[in-house]
Amino acid sequence: MSGRTIKPIRIESLLAGVLNVGTWLASVVIAAGLVLSLFYERTPFPTGAQVVTAGIGLFILLPILRVILMLTIFVKERDYKFAAAAAVVLLIIFAGFAIGILSK
Amino acid sequence: MNTGTELWLFAVSLGASALGGMLGMASGIFIVPVLTMFGHVDIRSAIGASIVSVIACSCSSAAPFLKGRLTNVRLAIVLETATTAGALSGVLLAGAIPASYLFFIFGMILLLSAQQMLAKRRDPALAPTQPFTGRSTTRRLDSSYLDRALGRNIAYRVERLPMGMILMYGAGLISALLGIGSGVLKVPAMDTALRLPIKVSSATSNFMICVTAAVSAGAYLVRGDIVAPIAGPVALGSVVGAILGAHFLMSFSNDRIRLLFVVVLVALAAQMFLAAFGTDLFRGTA
Repeated sequence: MSGRTIKPIRIESLLAGVLNVGTWLASVVIAAGLVLSLFYERTPFPTGAQVVTAGIGLFILLPILRVILMLTIFVKERDYKFAAAAAVVLLIIFAGFAIGILSK
Repeated sequence: MNTGTELWLFAVSLGASALGGMLGMASGIFIVPVLTMFGHVDIRSAIGASIVSVIACSCSSAAPFLKGRLTNVRLAIVLETATTAGALSGVLLAGAIPASYLFFIFGMILLLSAQQMLAKRRDPALAPTQPFTGRSTTRRLDSSYLDRALGRNIAYRVERLPMGMILMYGAGLISALLGIGSGVLKVPAMDTALRLPIKVSSATSNFMICVTAAVSAGAYLVRGDIVAPIAGPVALGSVVGAILGAHFLMSFSNDRIRLLFVVVLVALAAQMFLAAFGTDLFRGTA
């Protein structure tokens, strides 16, 4: 992430890396949670389902992280129109969370 | 939720996602019907589980497209302002729409997918003949990609952006309502409005799907509509299925299999319509 000439190729490989690692991480967490829930099916353990939910949360965070990354890169490149687009997308995602909380 | 159910959900999602991946479709379109009809999962939980798997598939398959520079990242972020706005509207509507309407809309989308599968896609973006003109911001979306089959760089331009944005808004709305990636609405937007090369539009639409789905998934998660014991196995199965499906993408593009899928889609649509008009029957078992 150093240097001021971040070319489009760098954006793309950076995003690819983040999405790849994130997918693996979230999948492993979900798998761990599922395995846990198989073994502790009947115990009131801080269990399976919670770990699985954490993994699901990671999957939902991944696209948000991706937009934040794009926003930072566009700002660094002084590409303000596209940075603004990224900011709007980010705000809409947060609005989604807000609606979810309010309509609970 | 017992071991059997968990494994069943995992296997079904793996199958749905692998089949979808082979045809270049998202898995969501199969997951919701299968979960509601055969798993007797109620449609809102099915949609919640499906939307997570949509994110998982989109994220897990994005990297090769990005590395191959097929994804137009700038165009994606511009169109995402429309898809996420649509998804937000979908979240607002979702609570107000009765389950039977959701089944009906889903049936319509399945029919639309069947129709699109029958009509072969022609590549809309031929090498541009006119010089690149137009407003500077729009022109900055134009790009090029290296076509490995043709062995050269293909330059393309983005056309009719406003119309593309409107269609993308609709795609986002349907995605949030039904828990699908709604590639079925993005394809016409990309082909007829923006006139992108097929490879670029597939890659870019796949890239956008996870962000679009994040709006509704986030809302449904905090609202408590995402049931972990269902969504977990489904998401995991979908990732594995998507990886498997991508490997078979090339070898399964023949006409007989397309036709088989059209039949499957129409059958699922019929089932969804039945559910829409006879919800009481289905609710009894849900």
